[in-house]
Amino acid sequence: MNLEFGRLALVFLFAIIPVVGIALGINSPGLRARIPLFVAFFAGTIPIISLYVPKKFLSGPTGMSPRLDQWLIIVYAFAILLGVVNVLQNSTRKIVRRESGWPFSIVLLAGLFVTGGAGVYGAISRKGITLLPDGTATPFKWIQDQFFQPLQSTIFALLAFFMASAAFRAFRARNTEATILLLAGGLVMAGRVPLLEFLAAPFPPLQPAAAGASQALGKLTEWIMDTPNGAAQSGIIIGAALGAASMAIRVILGIERGYLGLGRGE
Amino acid sequence: MAGMLDKLLSLDRRWIFLLVLLCVGTPIVMPIGLPVTTTGSTRAAFDYIESLKPGNYVWISFDYGPSSAPENDPMAEAFLRQCFAKKIRVIVCAFYPLGGLGLATNSLAKVTAEYPNLRYGEDYVNLGYKDGAAAVMRRLGEDIAEAFPADVRGTPLAQLPIMKGLRSIRQVQLVCSVATGVIGEYWITQVHSQIGTPIIIGPTAVAAPKYYAYLNAGQLVGMLGGMKGAAEYEKLLAARYPDMAHFYQSTRGFTATKGMDGQTVIHAVIILFILVGNVAYIMSRRAAQKKGA
Amino acid sequence: MRTGVLSRTFARLPSFAAPLIAALLAVFSHTALAIAPEGSPAAPADLPAPTDFAARDRPGDSGNAVLLTWKDPPGLDKNAGLQIRRAVPPAYDWTEITVAQPGAMRYVDTTAKDGTVYRYEIRTVSAADTSSAAPAAGGTSAASGTVATGPPAGPPLVSDPVASHDNWFRAEKTNSFIASVLFLVILLASIAAAQSGKKIFIRRIAGLNAVDEAIGRATEIGKKVLYVPGSQSMDEIQTIASIAILGHVARATARYGTDLDVPNKDPLTFASAREAVRGAYLAEGRPDLYREEMVNYVTYDQFAYTAAVSARMIREKPAAIFLVGYFFAESLILAETGQSTGAIQIAGQADPTQLPFFIATCDYTLIGEELYAASAYLSREPVLLGSMRAQDIAKAIVILLGIVGIIAASLGATWFAGLFKTQ
Repeated sequence: MNLEFGRLALVFLFAIIPVVGIALGINSPGLRARIPLFVAFFAGTIPIISLYVPKKFLSGPTGMSPRLDQWLIIVYAFAILLGVVNVLQNSTRKIVRRESGWPFSIVLLAGLFVTGGAGVYGAISRKGITLLPDGTATPFKWIQDQFFQPLQSTIFALLAFFMASAAFRAFRARNTEATILLLAGGLVMAGRVPLLEFLAAPFPPLQPAAAGASQALGKLTEWIMDTPNGAAQSGIIIGAALGAASMAIRVILGIERGYLGLGRGE
Repeated sequence: MAGMLDKLLSLDRRWIFLLVLLCVGTPIVMPIGLPVTTTGSTRAAFDYIESLKPGNYVWISFDYGPSSAPENDPMAEAFLRQCFAKKIRVIVCAFYPLGGLGLATNSLAKVTAEYPNLRYGEDYVNLGYKDGAAAVMRRLGEDIAEAFPADVRGTPLAQLPIMKGLRSIRQVQLVCSVATGVIGEYWITQVHSQIGTPIIIGPTAVAAPKYYAYLNAGQLVGMLGGMKGAAEYEKLLAARYPDMAHFYQSTRGFTATKGMDGQTVIHAVIILFILVGNVAYIMSRRAAQKKGA
Repeated sequence: MRTGVLSRTFARLPSFAAPLIAALLAVFSHTALAIAPEGSPAAPADLPAPTDFAARDRPGDSGNAVLLTWKDPPGLDKNAGLQIRRAVPPAYDWTEITVAQPGAMRYVDTTAKDGTVYRYEIRTVSAADTSSAAPAAGGTSAASGTVATGPPAGPPLVSDPVASHDNWFRAEKTNSFIASVLFLVILLASIAAAQSGKKIFIRRIAGLNAVDEAIGRATEIGKKVLYVPGSQSMDEIQTIASIAILGHVARATARYGTDLDVPNKDPLTFASAREAVRGAYLAEGRPDLYREEMVNYVTYDQFAYTAAVSARMIREKPAAIFLVGYFFAESLILAETGQSTGAIQIAGQADPTQLPFFIATCDYTLIGEELYAASAYLSREPVLLGSMRAQDIAKAIVILLGIVGIIAASLGATWFAGLFKTQ
């Protein structure tokens, strides 16, 4: 039994105290609401302190901070179970009550069980879920390659169509800012592809001029991406980082409680 | 006239979709072969890898999924080809769940087939997928074996000749992250900012504007912006290594250079849409003003 | 005068013999040196010893590392190497650790074990075969009776005993530590100031003013409110901010009796959103209106989720759509589909990547830190407003430092930028 300080401290803070707190708080909702804040405080401060304090029990390979990262992955796996249960509940409710679109719920459940079954089979038979040693695909990978990937690519490809319709509708010179957006967008779009060469392709005498103009346009595009865009992005990133830091401290200190369902004065 | 303008302004988006389909689909079937011009950020990435010496370590991370494969696969394959041509030792890993590992395996299999003298475990290794990208990157700075105890086949790292003497990512000369989302940024904030390892990122075109900020700040040594960046890199590679040029000239497989044809046509069409839409808008506004006046 | 044997012998020899004998002696002595067994200490003049050799625990680490520093001797051949060996006293069994290059002047031994006391030795060795230098005259172990051939080595320099251990503070992170502490102090001071009743100004954020308008519109039409809390998990601060806004939206829908639908991609976000909505309905005193199906889990895959939510938008035609949180490629698909249904759309994201798509398709967009300000803006709680003010003060300091940095860099004072290095 490994009794190092880091491990004991983690078990105490994240297992023993919450369980005891929940047990004590069965009759006291206030205490029950405070336990998540307590856990949030330590879950937030341990990684921050381990950034500055390289002591072994905190940030060494078996320290509290890496262990906490591993625990997060385990908690996540349980949460996925929560999600799957919810999907099952909602789909079966739709089928039983014959709500609109209930045949699709049957398709959903069939897909869930077949794919999940293939994955579990891969784990139990130790064949894995990628390629078998002889290069053929396991059932899970077959489903992934034949169904999953093409469907994913299809939905992703919708972006091309939506981009065009959004550009047509949104890039109108309504006011000054919209006009600047429109011009910058047009220039960058023209500069990122050999557009002028493409337009001059049927006219050979214009091609050298087109090539030269294309070079200049490319340089202008690079400048737009580097200077105004780079500066604006830096500004947003820095501002958002400070906002995130402020929000993080609020969550750690328990000032921000909306994510727990606790409102004002609770 | 006013009626036509109104119809144009509120054009049913399905006509637009049809036009897009034709414009993107046709160049795939009938390639045009348009030229590609290179930009500074891609050239910087190419020159950096060119400056590495045989035996150096390059870490290539597959941080993208199948949905952005058309943009990112050419980048990853170009990096692999260049490193193998320069006899650089390559360590591959994947941090993108849902498909990153499959893409890494496929790309490695495809490119190593072109270099029959390479040996797995000595010249290149596939460390597999690990969850929790940022946390794993923090561990890589201390000890790689802690984060990846074994490679994708389960062989402990101590038994792999390529990992001999390579304890942490501090000894790696370059990290190339081919990324679709936020994992590319993690490489910058967790590895470059804390340890100083040079990073090249190959993001999708959507994320590329954000990385210009990091490029300007000197936190990246180079960047390949989307499919255009991949096409530029392919052009530089074919120019420097003429025996690789045939990969990028055949019309059977998909390469970024081929994809650029479709992108050029659709850009032209979208610019046309914007011009037409704005002309219609301005004219209809003037007509409305005249009516009101 | 007493004369020695040699001088009396020499006195009897012919006059040319003395130089002849001296020459012969010189030749023999050189050859004698050449065939003498290795092990006799040879200190050639071109292998000078390094100076200032110090071994100490590497500062600011988690242990298992010893930092060795030395100064290269002047006139060191650039092809020479500096062999470093280590032994555990009292059994001085020297083992080679590495051969450093001239000019390095530092090396970190990461194979040291915490708590074990070591001594280190450094000496110059000549180039070529530096893999096995001759064992030192006075320090060989009993087993080594063989005559090892190797390049000659300079005189060794031995360090004091040293043991590595883990440290309490990473000195190279001092600047970030100071910045964090400063930020924390500003935050706590602002919160204290806000709680003591000081009025805090917050500028108008159009997107947040429109929240009530959007929900009101949904109530009028009788359609539901669709809230998409981003596609990332609760370890992302933007998602936490989104759930906080969801709490406010849920209170409004509870108050007006509007239907609410919150589809989730991530299981942890799903659990948190359920708590937030349930808590909001309870707080408004309308637990009867809360239905379990309001907050539901769809799927983890990015595009399957996008397809499901888009289909929901088209089928059920919500009147108000909120796209608040951290989105990736699905942002444009969701926003454009929502736009096609005619709903009023309010989007918000702190990461700049998808913002252009939201701006092009949504009626209101929260940009960057406006998302983090939302919970303070909507609730007007003093504590939250105070923390927002701290954010603004910190941003002002960063801008000031940026301006000072530009001036410093223009004047050639590069040390200023060096203050902010993080490695």
